[in-house]
Amino acid sequence: MGVPFEALLPFGIIIGCFGAGGYGLMAVKNWTNEGKRARWNRDVWDRVMMERDMRLTGTARGQSCNHEAPPGFELSNPWKLEKRIF
Amino acid sequence: MSRREPQFSQQTLIDTTPMPAEIPKVQEIGATSAPLTSAAYFIGDRCQAYNDDFMKCKAESNGRGELECLKEGRKVTRCAASVIKDINTHCLTQFTAHWECLENWNHRLWECRKAESDLNACVFDKLGLKKTIPGAVEPPRPTTRIPQYPIYAANTPNLR
Repeated sequence: MGVPFEALLPFGIIIGCFGAGGYGLMAVKNWTNEGKRARWNRDVWDRVMMERDMRLTGTARGQSCNHEAPPGFELSNPWKLEKRIF
Repeated sequence: MSRREPQFSQQTLIDTTPMPAEIPKVQEIGATSAPLTSAAYFIGDRCQAYNDDFMKCKAESNGRGELECLKEGRKVTRCAASVIKDINTHCLTQFTAHWECLENWNHRLWECRKAESDLNACVFDKLGLKKTIPGAVEPPRPTTRIPQYPIYAANTPNLR
């Protein structure tokens, strides 16, 4: 007794949706990390250093090994502002 | 003293006013986090005197170290920049291999021991700087089992 093909359509939908979600997440993660593996378990030091990398290279995961910073780097350090509570 | 790190900052302020003339000029280091992590032990080897001098100045200046230790801090920056410049000149391929491996492996040194040993050998040959871990127990404590590999490393092709 054969299985009617209509019974297999939901499997196609399920596999397609999970696949789209998974591969989509993979693509977004790969794109945001510029092809490198993601940083994880970052502490405050790591986050501050990644902000400094961003200021130096202009991209989120870019690295450079120059011994001198580009001109203007020493003035691009942002103050973080927050509203006063009192 | 009473400054608190902003927790929920909504915006930033970039002040591009140049530093006043009485502040001594120094060119900032242009290396990012992964090359700095890779070169950290060599910076420590060459610049330990300057670094200790700076930390002593900060400890003795009662919280005014940002202003009073500018001279010592300038020496620290220049010494670290000289180390990075020398490594770039003499060991660029090993250095690049190591910090790219670090950048790909969450800056964990134990994932990149092969590239690190190449870099250590090159830097010791060319520059005479040696990686020593400050405060490490010397000689190493005897253990019942000396692991050939770091136990928790995932990047086994990059280990020896």
